[in-house]
Amino acid sequence: MKQGSKEHSPNHSPKKVLVIGGGIAGLSAAWELARLAIDVDIVEKGPFLGGHAIGFCCKATDECQKCGACSVAARLLEVVQEPRITVHLMSELKSVTRNSTHRYVLSKRPLYINPDRCTNCGLCFDKCPAAGAIVRGYAKTGTSLYAINEAQCLYFKDGTCRLCQDECPEQAIDLDQSARQVSGEADAIIVATGFQVFDAKARPRYGYGINRNVITALELERMLRDKAQVLRPSDNKAPKTIAFIQCVGSRDHQLHHGFCSQVCCGYAMRMAEAISHRDSGVQISIFYMDMQNCGKNFSAFYERCKEHVRFVRSMPGDLFQGEGDQVTLCYATERDGRPVKKPFDLVVLSVGIMPGASNVRLAHMLQLDLDKHGFFAFTDPMDKTTTKQDGIFLAGTAQGPKDIADSMGQAGQAAQRAAQYLGVMACLK
Amino acid sequence: MPEVASLSGQGAPMEEIPMDTTVLIIGGGWSGIKVAHELIDMGYGVVLAESGTAMGGEPSGHPWASVKKKELTALLDSVKEADGIEILTATTLVSLTGVPGRFQARFEQGGESFERAVGAVVVALETQRVSLAEAYGLRGDENILTQSQLEHVCASGKGEAPLLGGGSKDVLFLVGLQQEASPVAMERAIQSALQVQCTGGLQATILVGNVKLAQHGLETLYKESREKGVLYFKLRETPHIKQNGADVSISFFDNVIHDQVVLRPDVLVVEEAIRPHPQASDVGQALGIDRDGEGFLQPDNVHFLSTRSNREGIYVVGPARLPSSLAQGWKDAQNAVLEVCQLLGTGKRVVPKEKAKIHRGKCTVCLTCFRVCPHGAIYWDNRAVISPTACQGCGICASECPMDAIQLVDFRDDQIEDQILQGTATGVDGPQMIAFCCQNSAFEAAQMARVTGGPLPKGLQIIKVPCAGKVDVDYILTAFKAGVDGVLVLACHKDNCKSQQGNTFAQWRVEDARRMLEESGLETDRVRFATIASNMPLEFVRITREMEDKLNQLGHSPIRKGAAA
Repeated sequence: MKQGSKEHSPNHSPKKVLVIGGGIAGLSAAWELARLAIDVDIVEKGPFLGGHAIGFCCKATDECQKCGACSVAARLLEVVQEPRITVHLMSELKSVTRNSTHRYVLSKRPLYINPDRCTNCGLCFDKCPAAGAIVRGYAKTGTSLYAINEAQCLYFKDGTCRLCQDECPEQAIDLDQSARQVSGEADAIIVATGFQVFDAKARPRYGYGINRNVITALELERMLRDKAQVLRPSDNKAPKTIAFIQCVGSRDHQLHHGFCSQVCCGYAMRMAEAISHRDSGVQISIFYMDMQNCGKNFSAFYERCKEHVRFVRSMPGDLFQGEGDQVTLCYATERDGRPVKKPFDLVVLSVGIMPGASNVRLAHMLQLDLDKHGFFAFTDPMDKTTTKQDGIFLAGTAQGPKDIADSMGQAGQAAQRAAQYLGVMACLK
Repeated sequence: MPEVASLSGQGAPMEEIPMDTTVLIIGGGWSGIKVAHELIDMGYGVVLAESGTAMGGEPSGHPWASVKKKELTALLDSVKEADGIEILTATTLVSLTGVPGRFQARFEQGGESFERAVGAVVVALETQRVSLAEAYGLRGDENILTQSQLEHVCASGKGEAPLLGGGSKDVLFLVGLQQEASPVAMERAIQSALQVQCTGGLQATILVGNVKLAQHGLETLYKESREKGVLYFKLRETPHIKQNGADVSISFFDNVIHDQVVLRPDVLVVEEAIRPHPQASDVGQALGIDRDGEGFLQPDNVHFLSTRSNREGIYVVGPARLPSSLAQGWKDAQNAVLEVCQLLGTGKRVVPKEKAKIHRGKCTVCLTCFRVCPHGAIYWDNRAVISPTACQGCGICASECPMDAIQLVDFRDDQIEDQILQGTATGVDGPQMIAFCCQNSAFEAAQMARVTGGPLPKGLQIIKVPCAGKVDVDYILTAFKAGVDGVLVLACHKDNCKSQQGNTFAQWRVEDARRMLEESGLETDRVRFATIASNMPLEFVRITREMEDKLNQLGHSPIRKGAAA
């Protein structure tokens, strides 16, 4: 991987693909293309590669649960070692003009932390006085493991604090760097901009943001990843009872979200299994409408889960602060519809996959259509990578909800289509 | 076309080898036809073997009515008429020998047997639909149909379908009550129910376990069907079914109206299970590739995503690896084509001359390596030969070889032993321990643990191995002889080993080592096996610190104490 450098290796191929998004779909598409000796530029808006999935936890019990989180780390490592792939972090597409190729301009914000100097000592992270102003990544990708979050950093707010820059023993931090523009040319484009997580506050009856012991499943993923255990936010104690509520934001026609997010049942069941494997004393309930399949041989997996997890087919109506720090769920029992109130130590909202925040802007720039839910629309139902623009292809959750395995599969398909479009696949003719 | 990058083997001598650019496709269904079409388009030769007498046919995930038959037929015609394809119908694969780029496939057709040379293999067997009527306790009658039979009735037009004609009738579907359904099966049931519902006088009702909607557009279809009047009852248990000839009554407790419901449908439509092709087991055996718990031809292991098998040069697509829709099968087809292109390129490939060496003087031709290789990379040519194209460098053969006759080029025993001896020369007061770490999991976790995980034990030395299956009992014993206090062998979780069995071999070797320690009077707790993933740095810290605590309790190893004295 090259860090945004413009020089080319002497045996560079004349073909180049621009991949928008550095999550698992973008990484997979880039990797497949590079293996066909096609140069790739990845544009990533954040300071790290790997998208949402790089922060997911391993959900193994004694056995792998096939969530695919480790595949993301493995793919990232392959991309980082691949010289044909150039990565532009903190970058966003400003404009694209199309002639025979796509000429594009990127706006590139600085990394502020010089990767050549940073030793990942973590002093900046530990000393920073503003919560969330210095963030830590999940994998080493040739840049610093730490990044400055301008939105929280006091320096960018009012210029009052430069503690990290002053404290860094390697003088690796320079907060005075400014954004710049980079332009380039690509023969094809793959849109792999991913998704945004449903904002649980948009379903106010679950009290997210009000009740501290109501968290999102993504927060649970991160907690398992960062702390290797589950702790209740209010008192940092291990919960004895946990409730997952499924379909938060998905399959919700009131919100015009008439689609299934396809991943929530899988992650809820796998995390429930992982948690009860570590502590068999934890009682976990999953409240659901319809359990969706995940992975291969789902029937067998579901039966195994039923040994440790209580599945309740009922969507809780209300939720309120119970005794102590508990959260009380009100729901109708499955058997006779009787209303019950049951307290839980921790409630996890299985938030769904929503269209990316920049989809509208990007669709306008690339002259693509969005579907009625706001995901990028495909034109051929037999090949969901296709768009109405020749030479522009879709991969991953930019096109619609999918899990890691499906995102990787669609990325391969998009790479194959792009290579075919560039004439690279007509290798023996 | 690109020159294909070499595998690993930094600094190892490389050579260019010829690759056969003809690809064998097994299965003449729509996934196989799609693979053939894409490969022909790129100029590759294709041998397509189909055990049945015809190509194409009804797609296994869809009724004919729902696909664009014209487009499919055009695709099939273009494949049939292409140059560079040989279509073998009524032909079964008997065996596959050789190495990626130079396979020999043996077939049987009408009692005759013959061979073809191919560079790669794509398995594209379709699935079969199996009626679950018997599982529901139903005996055949004219008003009891499988999902496929109903689709045929619907497609044939109402005039020819007296079953659905003649006044008001109730049509009842049973879905996902004997086993979990799939979105593919769910879509078919909903489509049929909609079609029935939109026919005058008919009422469609679906009894279902979980409504499977995890597929693009299915929630919308489900909503549309309810708006059009299709009734759904979601059941948690299989309903009670009584049958007296054509008279069927189905009773269950409904959780919405909280009462017992009895339905007497005029027509009953029973779901079908989607099972592997009847030949899947034979084909898997002939190719030497592993199956999953349901018999599909790809193990349930994320390292094989999307279309890889445990053998290099053999790829598995769509319905051959899991129940798939036509579009999913085609997505896989395109992924497999990408793999083929990366493997065979323009007919040459640069590979390391050797990835593993067999010492001819030491080899006693016991064939252990041949048997244990999870990648089918070792073949027999009057002596065992390790194919550098097929070899994944896991080293399981090297560690299992009873004569120590095999050395990996990148991980030689003497290199690893040097590292073990270095590890005992740290001069740390506390426990000295060595962790053998699989490069795919524990080694990566260790790298991150050093940065973010908090302090690691001072006396810990990490030794990277290509797979935990490479860890020889000798390594463990060498470590103890050199005076370490404890040894950890850290492998991938079960079902997550890139070499399928490497973690199991590692665990067995640790058990062996524990026995040996016991015999020589050392505490067995000084050696431990554990599983971990690459993204678990905290788990790495936990395991190593726990080991440190244990070793602190046990004190220094008697060998270390002896050496100090």
